[in-house]
Amino acid sequence: PSDGAAPRYKPPATETNPALEDPTPDYMNLLGMVFSMCGLMLKLKWCAWIAVYCSFISFANSRSSEDTKQMMSSFMLSISAVVMSYLQNPQPMSPPW
Amino acid sequence: MKNLYIFIAVLFIPWSFSLAKYDEFEDGDDIMEYDDNDFAEFEDVNEDAVTESPQRIITTEDDEEEATVELEGQDENQEDFDDADAQEGDTESEPYDDEEFEGYEEKPDASPSKNKDPITIVNVPAHLQNSWESYYMEILMVTGLLAYIMNYIIGKNKNNRLAHAWFNTHRELLESNFALVGDDGTNKEATSTGKLNQENEHIYNLWCSGRVCCEGMLIQLKFLKRQDLLNVLARMMRPASDQVQIKVTMNDEDMDTYVFAVGTRKALVRLQKEMQDLSEFCSDKPKSGAKYGLPDSLAILSEMGEVTEGMMDTKMIHFLTHYADKIESVQFSDQFSGPKLMQEEGQLTKLPETKKTLLFTFNVPGSGNTSPKDMESLLPLMSMVIYSIDKAKKFRLNREGKQKADKNRARVEENFLKLTHVQRQEAAQSRREEKKRAEKERIMNEEDPEKQRRLEEAALRREQKKLEKKQMKMKQIKVKAM
Repeated sequence: PSDGAAPRYKPPATETNPALEDPTPDYMNLLGMVFSMCGLMLKLKWCAWIAVYCSFISFANSRSSEDTKQMMSSFMLSISAVVMSYLQNPQPMSPPW
Repeated sequence: MKNLYIFIAVLFIPWSFSLAKYDEFEDGDDIMEYDDNDFAEFEDVNEDAVTESPQRIITTEDDEEEATVELEGQDENQEDFDDADAQEGDTESEPYDDEEFEGYEEKPDASPSKNKDPITIVNVPAHLQNSWESYYMEILMVTGLLAYIMNYIIGKNKNNRLAHAWFNTHRELLESNFALVGDDGTNKEATSTGKLNQENEHIYNLWCSGRVCCEGMLIQLKFLKRQDLLNVLARMMRPASDQVQIKVTMNDEDMDTYVFAVGTRKALVRLQKEMQDLSEFCSDKPKSGAKYGLPDSLAILSEMGEVTEGMMDTKMIHFLTHYADKIESVQFSDQFSGPKLMQEEGQLTKLPETKKTLLFTFNVPGSGNTSPKDMESLLPLMSMVIYSIDKAKKFRLNREGKQKADKNRARVEENFLKLTHVQRQEAAQSRREEKKRAEKERIMNEEDPEKQRRLEEAALRREQKKLEKKQMKMKQIKVKAM
């Protein structure tokens, strides 16, 4: 029984159920911004590097409906945090051990 | 497009590094020249001042060979200083003074007793060396980022290949059963796109419709997040599988009223807690299906025994036993409304909308290490889905069953109303109070005393009427009770 009825509607654009959505990209985005601010203000290189990682992770986990502009802005912010830390203090990072 | 952005941004990093290095050199030179001119003035004034300040001017980018030369030069300078014969010595050795190290501060202490102790050449601190080796942490970071990007590309491609392999295997079966295969909701007309709709790097959707009995079928290929390195590492600790989730929405007239689920015990326990309909209608714990010949791994949750009897026919049992390892959960429900919603305190809620749904969750074999070939083994499961659609249409409860089902549904609705009754009363009460307050304010704000009086009287009359009505009602109830 393949074509009994006329074709029906389009997909209910897959439910935007806030409880079901994966919060990872949003958390990572926020974390990335926080770390890059820390890196810029407190001139901590490792903060800036973690911010870069956070923004990459947020990008990898993002939904297609996410704004690319926000991704790019968080990404650019973290890159600029790294660059600024090195401009202010070109010494290499020292490991914590 | 996204990849392009990443590569451009990654190129930024080494470029900015090289910029940083050169800037420092230029700044250093400027400082030196400026200070040279300054000290020319102070030559006569204070020997101490002159000799100490060159020490403080530090440039940081010198090689080790230059370092040893400077040390000797500086020693000579110190001797001259000790002999109080400073000025010429200073001017001659100023070029050397200006290229001292930071660590040089130790020298003045050592040099007076130079003849007694050997020269201790201090190692140049790592951050002053002009070599790439000292930046090993940074190189590590960049390598990590590159590894992440590589994994992203590889993971994304793998998921893509798996999705298309699945679709190619299932395409024929779907096209023979559904008139509309693949739709992304953008076209005005209902035409088959014949393609998967990519929602994410790890989620692919497919909407099929145009079949008798069902409104439509939404298939979601929920792959593992292979594109995220963190996820890949987490999965090494805790293996997980790709999942195929199929949701069939039935027409209202094509399915009777029952709630039924079968699946792995763990999945059923979780669903019973999470899903609105299963928690309300299936109060017992998941029962073993051994009675029907199902393997131990599977359990059954059902609204009433009759439903289980009806559902477990030979063909269904055959499907369930043969593909038990791939089945996570199967749920037939006429009261399906998704997972329980978190309700805030004091918020009025209506009963959530329900739809007659068949929900299937299958695990892709391979437990993460799937290859496109594994997708073929899921084809029989799709046949099971099609069979279930027809079965759900055919299966009807008998009279007793229907009565029980109706009673259950009425019970659930009553419970819900009772729960919200208090909230609704409170809401109505607060609305009435608001009205009264607004009225009083209006009366107060009226400037004209005449109008005020009139409004007050009107309000009083209304109150009296209400009281009378209430008294009437009470009388009526009393009469009825008698």
